[in-house]
Amino acid sequence: MIAPMLFLGMGAFAIYLVARLVTKENGWLASLTTGIFVAALGAFVPLAEATRQALDAGGPLPTWGGEDPGSVALRSDPGSLVIVGVALALGALTSIYSGRYVAHDRRKDLYYPLLLLMLTGLCGTVLAADLFNLYLFIELMSIAAYILVAFRRHSRKAIEAGFKYLIMGSVGTLLFLVGVALIYRERGTIALPLVGFAPSDPPGPWIRTGLAFFLVGLGVKSAVVPLHTWLPDAHGRAPSSISALLSGIIIQSALYALLKVSLGTGMSARALGGVLIAVSVANMTLGNAVALVQTDTKRLLGYSTVAQTGYMMFGIGIGFYYRIPEAIQAGFFLLVAHAGMKALAFLSKGVHRFYLDTNTLEELRGTASQLPLVAMTFTVALGGLAGVPPLAGFISKWFILGRVLQPDEPLAYVGLAIFLLNTLLALGYYLPTVARLFVAPDPVPSRTTERIGISAWMAIPLVVAAALVIAIGLYPAPWWTWVDGVGPYLLGR
Amino acid sequence: MNAGTIGLLAILVAPLAAVVALFLLRGRSIRFAGWIAGASAVVTLGAALLSLPALHRGEVPTLTMPWIPAAGIKFSLHVDWLTLPFLVTEAAVTLVAVAYSWGYHHADERSGAFYGLLLLFGMGMSGTTLADDMVLFYVFWELMLVASAILILLWGDGERRGPIALKYFIFTHLGSLMVLVGLIVLYDATGTDTFSALRAGVALDPGLTRMVIGLFLIGFSVKMAVFPVHLWLPDAHTVAPMPVTIMLAAAMLSMGTYGILRFPLSIFARADIASFALPMMIAGLFSEVYGALMALAERDIKRIIAYSSVSQMGYILFGLGTLTAKGITGATLHVVYHAIVKALLFMGAGWVIKSTGRRYINELGGLAKRMPLAAVATGLGALAIAGMPPFCIFNSEWMIFSGGFHTAHTGLSVVTLLGSLLTVVYATQLIIGIFFGSEPEGLTVKKPHWAIVAPTALLAALAFIEGVFPAMLFDWVTHELPLILGGQW
Repeated sequence: MIAPMLFLGMGAFAIYLVARLVTKENGWLASLTTGIFVAALGAFVPLAEATRQALDAGGPLPTWGGEDPGSVALRSDPGSLVIVGVALALGALTSIYSGRYVAHDRRKDLYYPLLLLMLTGLCGTVLAADLFNLYLFIELMSIAAYILVAFRRHSRKAIEAGFKYLIMGSVGTLLFLVGVALIYRERGTIALPLVGFAPSDPPGPWIRTGLAFFLVGLGVKSAVVPLHTWLPDAHGRAPSSISALLSGIIIQSALYALLKVSLGTGMSARALGGVLIAVSVANMTLGNAVALVQTDTKRLLGYSTVAQTGYMMFGIGIGFYYRIPEAIQAGFFLLVAHAGMKALAFLSKGVHRFYLDTNTLEELRGTASQLPLVAMTFTVALGGLAGVPPLAGFISKWFILGRVLQPDEPLAYVGLAIFLLNTLLALGYYLPTVARLFVAPDPVPSRTTERIGISAWMAIPLVVAAALVIAIGLYPAPWWTWVDGVGPYLLGR
Repeated sequence: MNAGTIGLLAILVAPLAAVVALFLLRGRSIRFAGWIAGASAVVTLGAALLSLPALHRGEVPTLTMPWIPAAGIKFSLHVDWLTLPFLVTEAAVTLVAVAYSWGYHHADERSGAFYGLLLLFGMGMSGTTLADDMVLFYVFWELMLVASAILILLWGDGERRGPIALKYFIFTHLGSLMVLVGLIVLYDATGTDTFSALRAGVALDPGLTRMVIGLFLIGFSVKMAVFPVHLWLPDAHTVAPMPVTIMLAAAMLSMGTYGILRFPLSIFARADIASFALPMMIAGLFSEVYGALMALAERDIKRIIAYSSVSQMGYILFGLGTLTAKGITGATLHVVYHAIVKALLFMGAGWVIKSTGRRYINELGGLAKRMPLAAVATGLGALAIAGMPPFCIFNSEWMIFSGGFHTAHTGLSVVTLLGSLLTVVYATQLIIGIFFGSEPEGLTVKKPHWAIVAPTALLAALAFIEGVFPAMLFDWVTHELPLILGGQW
């Protein structure tokens, strides 16, 4: 149960020691980190298998941390498995990528351990079975993330973004802590019951207040509009490898924690669904509208994450509101697909930054002739995010749309119309970005247009992620089955 | 796996294989790009025609594989009589467009990508007509949009090609999204995405039925570029390189017609559609007149011909809206004939533009002496589009108007018939402007490439032959009638 997290956590210290005592060679550190992720994935597979069997048999879910139900610290469930699996895979890809990407940076002895600690925190956040552990791990994840955002500390903007993230994030976790105290006051326990077996008596005033604190506190972490303002800065200024993780999975793990905590402390599925639908509309509309006017590529991708998280919340919210497990499943399918696409986008952007030192969208113009492979992978990523068939984003939207129509209710139709308009709006920034890659500026600038051979450290993760985005789109069946346990679990069936 | 299925696969695999080969071409071998694309287009057309014997035997070549079993989604292709006219038209247009590119497209190191994208564009269209399930239909439907938008973006003329490609993409994608919602409602109602389940009948409540039909009609009208959702067309057609313009105008517009025939008209009963008949006819009339008036007002040759498409799509929508056997056969025939004539006109225009380097009608004139062959071919095209017998469009217009007179709205049909007079005006104005009158100063004429002349001449001949001997095509098209509106006429 604890093995994957143990590998990551111990790995962090081991890497630090290696970097301090043995070698600071970036290639070695990256390889070791990748090895740790692969080992964690290896330990993750039996856990996933055990959880699935437990669900199929209707038995108790695998837990860790004590015999009696009150002292359970971690418990795996279908949703957390999806997120942990995606996170470990992304972690492996980004650490290979870092083998070249951070080669010129100093303090690599901190970079890899922090990366590992951040993902340890992430696993703990989604696996936690009580509010205290949840708080602990979400802080671990966040603190590692704050430092990584400001990792390039010679840049004032990175420091500023990291500081903003720190302030807003700390307020978020603080509010969460207040919520824990309030819940404890009324219930006398901090254990998160199994979702779906939440306390049957209606929540009293303290729990209601606590829930409000949770929603806001975790809302900051999952970049719910209007608490998202830190995100474009943080994701825009962090090293691209870190942005890939932040946008791809960190936000979503906070979202899952929000679902688990709300349901586990007695919020009704319908109320949670209503909140999610309302918030999702704000997220997608604001994310897309503001992305339209961005001039910086990574900020654009950051706002795109705000919007895509909105799509996820929309599917999940409809699922809760109308009790449709497949809609939640569709939301989680998009979560998986989005992780692949957004990570691919950030990693591709990072290559541009690394070789051509580009930041703004204008500077991307015509770079396809210099970095053809990256232009292709970037196109796959942006095309996928825009929902161009047959890529992963399209099939996710197909699943979400199909489930949203199921209840045949006016609210769902209104949401659907907003969803589709947003899809259209999003084309307004995805497509020109793709176009910029391929259309050379006129007149052609004096800078060299020779083809640049990119390092295998970077090429391999790009190709793997692009292949995944295409594979999920062309053959979604196994991925769709992989997330099928989430809906029934969260709805308590 | 029998001959029919192999043919089905060949239609899609030939361009795919060619695309892979084209993207791998490097250095000197790039000069084979055109030939590879041509060979693949020939295979596609041949494979499409190969399905004819099976269709005549009453079979429907089909290929079905499971795709996403958990969600009831299959991967299925088929050819039936409704597919065939569109499939053959589209494959033939791709072939002539590729052949025309040999002469029109200036070969450089990006030629592999150019021909590859042309083939992908064609593959998107053949896939759209072949698809027997909704996800696949939509995937191919968007493939044709993506490929054509990239072609416009990278090889378009002028500074504004970027914004125009974007406008084209977003505008037609809006139509696609409407179609997508319709598809998903149907998918939701039947629980599977295969068309066969749809043909067996869909139970929806009346309000939802009306909404779905409305969404399909508007969504597909965007692709057809009917007034007032035609706004993407003039710019896209003008800026696109000529081979792409030919494919857009002659083949892609017809995909909208195919969509209307395949979805609202095949799935729902006559009673459900009946209330949409009059709006369709009126929209068709408006589009016919508006397109013709705009064509009269334009000075750019390509824009004149582009607006003529808006006008011609009006006839088709009018024909579909009559909901009579004659009107619908006429509309389908018009798709095929419009493809021939519109490709011919654009080729003639491309010939003139390539030879003189000018594209505004007031900068041209008196070319009949210098370019007699081009004058004859384009002139034939202009006569054909004006609906003169014995050219092909006369036949289809005859059918469409006689369909119109079979409805209760004879007055509307008379107005539409009179509206076609405008077509004569802009067609003659176009020919007179380019080929007659006094020659402006400083006009130089270059000798055209044979690959520009040959397809143009071929299509001019075809426009005449189809006009005189339309029997075979009539036979193909009438076979589609049992598939539409439950086959009750």
